[in-house]
Amino acid sequence: MKEGHLHPSTQFLRELVQIFSELGFEVYESPEVDSEWYNFDALNIPSNHPARDVQDTFWLKDGRVLRTHTSNGQVRYGETHKPPIKIIIPGRCYRNEATDATHETTFNQLEGLYIDKKVTVANLFATLDQIINKIYDGKVEYRIRPHHYSFVEPGYDVDIKVGSKWRELLGSGMVHPTVLKNMGINPDEYSGFAFGLGFDRMILNKHDIEDIRLLLSGDLRFLRQF
Amino acid sequence: MKYLFSWLKEYYKTDESPEEVAAKITRLGTEVESVNGGQIDDKIIVAKILEVKPHPNADRLQIARITTGKEETEVVCGAPNIEVGQLVPYAQVGTKLADFEVKEAEIRGVKSPGMLLSERELGLGDNHEGIKILENAEVGEKVSSLLNSDPVLEAEVTPNRGDVLSHFGLSRDLAAWEKLIEKPALNLKESNEKTSDFVSVEIKTDKCQLYLARVIKGVKIGPSPDDLKAKLEAVGAKSINNVVDATNFVMLDLGHPLHAFDAGKIQDKKIIISEIEQETEVETLDGVARALLPEVMVICDAKRPVAIAGIMGLKNSEVDDETTDIILEAAVFEAKSIRKSAKELSLQTEASYRFERGVDAAGTEYAINKAAQMIQEVAGGVILEGVVQAGEVEKPHKVKVEYERINDLAGVEYQKEEVDKILTNLGFKIKDGLAEVPSWRHDIFAWEDLVEEVVRMSGLERVKPVAIAKSTKPEPTDYFKKEKIKDYLADSGLDEVVNYSFLSDEDTIAAKIDPKDLIEVANPVQEENRYLRNSLVPGLLKDIAKNPSFDDIEIFEIGNVFLKEKEQTNLAIVTSGKSARKVGEILKAFCEKFGISEADFKVYDIDREELKRFKIKKPNVSVAEVSLGEILPKLKFENLDLRVDENEIRYREVSKFPPVKRDLSFIIDEKITLNEVKKEILSATKFAFLVEAFDEFKDKRFGEGKKNVAFHIWLQDLGKTMSDQTADAEISKIISSLKEKFSADLRS
Repeated sequence: MKEGHLHPSTQFLRELVQIFSELGFEVYESPEVDSEWYNFDALNIPSNHPARDVQDTFWLKDGRVLRTHTSNGQVRYGETHKPPIKIIIPGRCYRNEATDATHETTFNQLEGLYIDKKVTVANLFATLDQIINKIYDGKVEYRIRPHHYSFVEPGYDVDIKVGSKWRELLGSGMVHPTVLKNMGINPDEYSGFAFGLGFDRMILNKHDIEDIRLLLSGDLRFLRQF
Repeated sequence: MKYLFSWLKEYYKTDESPEEVAAKITRLGTEVESVNGGQIDDKIIVAKILEVKPHPNADRLQIARITTGKEETEVVCGAPNIEVGQLVPYAQVGTKLADFEVKEAEIRGVKSPGMLLSERELGLGDNHEGIKILENAEVGEKVSSLLNSDPVLEAEVTPNRGDVLSHFGLSRDLAAWEKLIEKPALNLKESNEKTSDFVSVEIKTDKCQLYLARVIKGVKIGPSPDDLKAKLEAVGAKSINNVVDATNFVMLDLGHPLHAFDAGKIQDKKIIISEIEQETEVETLDGVARALLPEVMVICDAKRPVAIAGIMGLKNSEVDDETTDIILEAAVFEAKSIRKSAKELSLQTEASYRFERGVDAAGTEYAINKAAQMIQEVAGGVILEGVVQAGEVEKPHKVKVEYERINDLAGVEYQKEEVDKILTNLGFKIKDGLAEVPSWRHDIFAWEDLVEEVVRMSGLERVKPVAIAKSTKPEPTDYFKKEKIKDYLADSGLDEVVNYSFLSDEDTIAAKIDPKDLIEVANPVQEENRYLRNSLVPGLLKDIAKNPSFDDIEIFEIGNVFLKEKEQTNLAIVTSGKSARKVGEILKAFCEKFGISEADFKVYDIDREELKRFKIKKPNVSVAEVSLGEILPKLKFENLDLRVDENEIRYREVSKFPPVKRDLSFIIDEKITLNEVKKEILSATKFAFLVEAFDEFKDKRFGEGKKNVAFHIWLQDLGKTMSDQTADAEISKIISSLKEKFSADLRS
């Protein structure tokens, strides 16, 4: 008899997927290497715009990028599906920077997308409330504040209270009409919301892990504890 | 951007505390990340460190014995920089810090009445590396009498809100809750000489909408007055000289970048805005020689470039100690063009940052007038009459206020009057259902953009959550199949690893991969991110090499690999070690379970040469890899329910030093689960970090209701290599604690 272990990210993502499955979200996966169009332009992040500076991007020699968010799946899915759309897109994303105990080139994100007739900010807030309470078992204080992301309008961030500090949990907002158009969906007829949460930080907090690089270290002294 | 609280209050009149104002700003969409300086709680007093000793239960903590002059006490401290004799800020029990109240705490078994504070905890800056060491202080004195200052708010301004990149701009947004604030009137004293007789301006590019020039003659360059210097330095700007400081002040005040030329160095007193035609070498104000490529927008005099438009001036027209006459510039340059040039030159400045985000064209004249007035105040001289202008302020655009649709998207019933009032307070002019967008807002193009404004100004609490329609649980997709595979492999004893998607040059050599077959990253910041992996195997082999503490390793990974023609998800398994199973054996069971053929897998042994290249010291390394896309449709699953493990995990930090492994077996009540025993072992000693069961069976000879359980236990020391002696002692602790808790008997 020998115990095998699932990676902490695998275990944590499953908890999230289960929560979203119960709410009716389908799991969709999008490619990690993608075109500039799906990762940026289609999401209303044009070149020569400061919004591009928000992330440091790995550009590939063939002109494509390593996705900076799993939002690259939004327009891909929208192109081939009619509303109502209700998906989550979990997966690996990339940031071109030097690594240390709190910075990683490779991180996990879970994107959510819901498009239907008459979807409202009130719907978004209700869904965020459901999700956060399920993830933290109702035992967390959170706040929603306005924030800007090019692919939503209006946009909101959610912070949770960790100790005495507010820490960003996720970004969200109403899908920008330009993004809907790029999916081939008529913004006069449909509206929707999207949200994205980076869940590595949540794993670290949950287990009190001191260095984010341990997740991809391949160190079995670490991995076999989970 | 950093904002000085007192500076904001010049425009936003309030009695609120800095923290209250910060919370308001955050609620408006500009997140305040920190509030530094300001009132320090009187319960924080100066203490002297009398003794520093180690914490009995934690390597990283120390205990400081301190005196406040009246009494001695001991506090726990995590900072490495404390030493005997230092004067430090001591927060007594009851002190209110930025976001919590100091209470009598017990830290790892040691009582700590209060705490010593870092600069950050004192609210004075970002430094949290160590305790703030005080100088020229008296023991027992209130720290507030030493360090109180004007609070500085640091906020993250989103790229769409260039209009709040100034003290006036942020104040205007804050005040909009009540009303629209206007800039105070100026008091400009001009001479009779006309500016237009002294300087001419001509625009020869479509990337410059507006260019204004003013002239101040007879200035005396020198250091700025102390209050101006202090104001600039408080928000992170360097003081240079009175004239340059005045232009920087106006930028931080109003958000409009300005530039001052030494008029004596401007040939023929001509200002021409144009684009570079042929690559040109210039020296910028920071003393760096730079090559300007065609299409970079520049300001020229009659003969040569004198500034890179909107980014930085050139050395050849710099204001220096000899300067007497100034040509002042305030302009509106195209955001895209400035961004492109700044990127091309790798030269981001406060000016380019603001131009990229858009400046207030209609406010340009006010900005240049205020700067002229201020230069006269701090450097003397006379201001010539009038502004020389080229180009024009663009007409404002209008968006339709779709009242009903705004309510539909928000999910809130706002009254028309309320919407109009919010927009009017923000500077929109409402007429006939159309909103004229204020000249400083560059993020409003359609009615959807107004939703953001209405919701944030009316308060997010007005949005009452409405649950979305329920829908059925969706059909499981491939994700669920992959998770089932992981479950099967973990259940059969394999560990899941997740590796980077990258390969370095070194990796390609070890794995004998031709880099030509790999997708290459064009701009890696780190060497190891040069290529994308085309196989999971090199990563897994590196994992084998990295884990000398384990004799036998059986690991797998499911992850994406990147071939030139496509991206695909692979599964790879690697095993190594004398007692580890061969990969073939694992595969055989796998294929039987899922009803597929082993022929789909690439299976091979790693030869000695390759082991050497990967620095693997273990024998018997075998590998299997498959593209999941090809086998997933063929696999047979009993169900696709997601399994979520509820076991509590007690994670322990991994030591830099090697662990030792001990095996123990016990006779124990059969009702006690392996997990209960495991938990107890981990509670018994902090040196144990990994406990794995390897045997569990019943036998008559153990007695009725009893079973045998066996565990591998790894022990480590965070500070040094684990010694056998310590290990023995800790193992005894485990044995006695299991005896006590479960009446477990050690099998010898």
